[in-house]
Amino acid sequence: MQMVNLKINGIEVEVPKDSTILQAAEKAGVHIPVLCHDARLNPFGACRVCLVEAVGNPRLMTACTTPAAPDMEILTNTEKLQKIRKTVMELLLINHPLECPVCDKGGECTLQDLTYETGLTNVRFDAEPNNTEVDHTNPFIERDIDRCVLCGRCVRICDEVVNIQAISFVNRGTETMIGTAFDQPWNCEFCGQCISVCPVGSLNNRVYLFKNRPWNLESVDSVCGLCSCGCYIKLDHEGNEVFRMNEAPEEGANHGYLCAKGRFGFEFINSMERETECRIRKNGDFETVDFEQALDTVSEKLGAIKSEYGSDAIGVLVSPRLTNEEAFLAQKFAREVIGTTNVYSLEPTTSLPEATYEDVENSDCVVTLNIDVTESNPILGLAVRKAARMNDAGLYVYYPSETALKRVATEMHTGTPDAVYAAMDELVAGKTKAAEALKGAENPVVVYSPYNTADLYYAQELKKAYPSLKLVAARSKNNSQGVLDMGAKNGFGPGLKETERGVNLRKGLENQSVKALICLGENVAVRTGWSEIERAYSHLELFMVTDPFMSETAKRGNVYIPVATYAEKNGSFTNLEGRVQEVQKAVDKGVCTDSDVIAALSAKLGKELTADVDEIREMIRKENPLYKDVDFNGGLVKYPYAIKGEFEKETVAAGEGSFYLYPAALRLHSGSYTRWSHDLAKVYGDAKLIINDKDAEAAGIESGNEVAVKAGDVIRVFAAEVDKNMTKGCVSLPEDYADTADLFTKGRVLKVSIEKSG
Amino acid sequence: MKNVFDTFFFTEILQGLGVTMKHFFKKKVTYKYPYEDTPVFPRFRGIQYIKTDEEGVTKCVGCYLCQVVCPSECIHIVTDCGHKGQRLIRKYELDLSRCIYCGYCEEACPVDAIHMGRDYHTVDNTRDNYVVNMKTLTQNYKKEQKMAEAKGEQL
Repeated sequence: MQMVNLKINGIEVEVPKDSTILQAAEKAGVHIPVLCHDARLNPFGACRVCLVEAVGNPRLMTACTTPAAPDMEILTNTEKLQKIRKTVMELLLINHPLECPVCDKGGECTLQDLTYETGLTNVRFDAEPNNTEVDHTNPFIERDIDRCVLCGRCVRICDEVVNIQAISFVNRGTETMIGTAFDQPWNCEFCGQCISVCPVGSLNNRVYLFKNRPWNLESVDSVCGLCSCGCYIKLDHEGNEVFRMNEAPEEGANHGYLCAKGRFGFEFINSMERETECRIRKNGDFETVDFEQALDTVSEKLGAIKSEYGSDAIGVLVSPRLTNEEAFLAQKFAREVIGTTNVYSLEPTTSLPEATYEDVENSDCVVTLNIDVTESNPILGLAVRKAARMNDAGLYVYYPSETALKRVATEMHTGTPDAVYAAMDELVAGKTKAAEALKGAENPVVVYSPYNTADLYYAQELKKAYPSLKLVAARSKNNSQGVLDMGAKNGFGPGLKETERGVNLRKGLENQSVKALICLGENVAVRTGWSEIERAYSHLELFMVTDPFMSETAKRGNVYIPVATYAEKNGSFTNLEGRVQEVQKAVDKGVCTDSDVIAALSAKLGKELTADVDEIREMIRKENPLYKDVDFNGGLVKYPYAIKGEFEKETVAAGEGSFYLYPAALRLHSGSYTRWSHDLAKVYGDAKLIINDKDAEAAGIESGNEVAVKAGDVIRVFAAEVDKNMTKGCVSLPEDYADTADLFTKGRVLKVSIEKSG
Repeated sequence: MKNVFDTFFFTEILQGLGVTMKHFFKKKVTYKYPYEDTPVFPRFRGIQYIKTDEEGVTKCVGCYLCQVVCPSECIHIVTDCGHKGQRLIRKYELDLSRCIYCGYCEEACPVDAIHMGRDYHTVDNTRDNYVVNMKTLTQNYKKEQKMAEAKGEQL
C-alpha cells in the first residue's frame, strides 16, 4: 500500500494514500471537530466545522473530504480557525431553536457539544426559527424540522447503507429541509438508522421520547436477542427499567446498525403483561404457587414418571432464546440428571455457519435463494446491499415476489414458487448469467434459509458446483446456532458430536411414549411445522413450560415458571455467522433465569448443577471441542461442515387451490417476543395476508378485509394487505403466528384457495 | 502586672456581666414560633415552588436537570410521551425531609420553573407528608404570589 507522510500540528504521521486529513489527524491523535461527518458514510463536507489550514495554502480546506497529500503541513487549531469555527457555529445556530431543555437529544447532541467546545456564548445574528409543526405521525420517528442543521447524515445513511432512499433534501436555499417525496408519510423499513446518525434533535426516537435523559441512564453492552443477526447493542436502563436499546456506532459485527425490532422492540422487557408468579394447573385451572412449590411438584412428578416409565419417558425441549450456557446446562440436566438422551431443539443441524458478514460485504457475487433477507435478517440484508452497492458485486435474487433488494439486484427472479424453483434449477445446471457470475467470482456467497429442505438441496448443489462458495444459513432466532452447538439436540452432543439418539419428539408425543416434557422457553404453538404436535400434549403427565410471558404453549402446560429475558441474564449467544458474543445482565425483574430453574430442579433431584455462568463456561471449554479456544466476546467458531445430509428438491406445491401460499418474513416480527411489544404492533400487529392488487380486485378484496385461507381441511382467517409487489397468483403469510404455523404444517409452499369472509 | 490585677479583681467576669446588663435593658428578640412568624431575610431559601404560565400549566418541561444537580437526591421525576407526542410529567416529587435547601435546582432550571420560596413551615407529624408533588409545588406558587403581592413585590 502506498503511504503518505504529512505533519499535523507538528506531529509527523504516515497514512495510506487516499486517506483524508481527518483520518490522518485521528491517527496522529489530533482532535478535529466534525458535525456532518460519519466514518460509515461517504465524505460530504457540508457543515464546514472541520475546516483546517494547510501551511502555504491561503484557502481553508475541509478535513473530512480533502485527501492527505505528501509533505502537507496541517494546522487544526490556529486563532484564525477558532474564529472561523465560531462563526460557522453561529451561522448554524441562526435557525436552530435553543430549546435544549425540551429536546430529547440534550446531553448527547453534537451541536450542543460543539457550541460548548468552541466557547460560543453569544450569537451575533438574529435567530429566525421556522416554527414548523413537529411531525408526530410516524410511530417510530419524531421529526422536528426546526432543529435540523441540514448535515444530510440521515439522507446519506438511508441511501448509502439502508438503500431505501425514503428521505431526501427537498426545496432549495433557505427553504431546504429533509422530507419525503410529495410530503407523503414516511414509508420505510423503520430501521431508525436516520435517528442514530442525526447529530441534533431533529429526528428522535419516538419510543424513547421524553421517557428519560441520557445522563440518567446506565448502559450495559449486550447482544440483541430478537433475531439471529447478533447485533452488538447497548441496553440503556435506569433502575430496573430498560429505556433504550441503543446502537454503538461503528462497533460490533453490525457496525452499529440496528433494525426496527432491535431499536424499537425492547418494550416487552418492561411489559406489564409479563408473569411474575409460578402457576400449577389444578382441576383444569391455573393456581398461583411460589417457586419452591412449583419445583417440588415438577421434581415429584419427574421422580414418579421416571420410576414408572423409565427416564426415556421424559424429554427436555430447549428454545433458541436460551443462552449457550443455559442450553449446555439443559442438555446436561437431561443427559446426566434425568439420564435420558431425549433433549430436543426445533432447529435443524443440517446446515452450519460458514461466511461472516465481512465475507458477504466483501463478496463479488451474492445469490439469495428463496429468502427475503432484508426482512428476515435485516443486518445481514445490509451486508448484502453493501456488497451489491459498494463493491458492484453481482446480486442475484430468487424470490417469489419483489423484495427491497430489487433496486440493487443485478437479476431478480420472481414468479410463482414453482417458477422460482425452476429458475433455481437452471442456476444449479449452470446455464444462467448468475451461474457464470458465480463461476467467475473470487468470493461468491449464497444466502439461504436453513429451514426449507428444498432450499437446502439447491444450496448443497451450488456448494458442490462452486467449491469457493461460502454459504450463509439465515437462521431466525437469536441463539438458533448456539443451542445446537451446546448439544441441546436429539442425537447431537456438545460440539455437534453425534451421540446416541433418543426418542423422536414428534413420534414420542404421538405414540404417547413421552410422558413428561420440560419446555424451556419454546413456544411450539407458533413454530412452523411444529404447531400440530401441540395437540398431542393432552396426554402428558407433566408439561412444564418456562417463558417470560404466558405464551400459547405455556397456557397448555400444567406447570408454568416465569423466567428472565436476555436483558436480565448473563451468558452468550452464537449468531448466524458462528460468532459468540456475551450477553450481559442490565435489569432485574424479580424472576429467575432458565439456568436457575435447571439448577434448582437438579438439586431437588439429587444432583448439584451450577448456575454460575463462569463455571458453566469452563465446562463448555472442557466438553465442547468447538468452543475450546473460542473467545466468548466476539470469537468465531469453526464448524466442521456447512451443509450435510440428503435433500429432495421441491417438485410441486402441496394442496389444491388457485393461489400459491408461501411463508414470508416480517422484519418487525420474527419471533414470539416481538408480539408483546406494543410499539412494533403499531405497524404490524397481526399476521396479514399479502395479496397482489389485481388478484385482490378480482376477488373483491381490499386492504383490511378479512380473508379466509383454505389449505386442505385447515381454514384460517387473516386481514388482507394489498401489495402491488406481490406476484400475481401468489399470497404470503408471515411465520411465527399460531394460525400461520397451522397452515404451514401442511408444507412450506402450498396451493390454497382464498375467499373474502364476513 | 496586668495579669495579676485581672486575677485579683475578676475584671473579665465583670466585663462579661457588663454584656449581660447591656442586653438586659434592650428590646427582646425572641419570637414565639409557631404563634409568631420570624422575619425572613431577602436571600432566605425556603420550600420550593414551581411557576405556572397564564393558563395555569406548569412551566416545568421535565428536563431532569434539577434531579441531576440535586446533591441530596431529593427530587424524583418521571416523564412520558403522550399520544400526540406531547411531553407529560408523570411524577415530580420532592422530599423535603432530604432537601438541604441549597438552591441548586433553582440555579439549574433552564425554564425558570422551580424556585426557592420564602416559606419555612416544614414541620409535620409524619414523614410521608414531607414528600411533595407537582400539585403542592404549583399551589406553593400561588401562596408565594399572594405573599409577594401583600408586600407589593413581584416574584
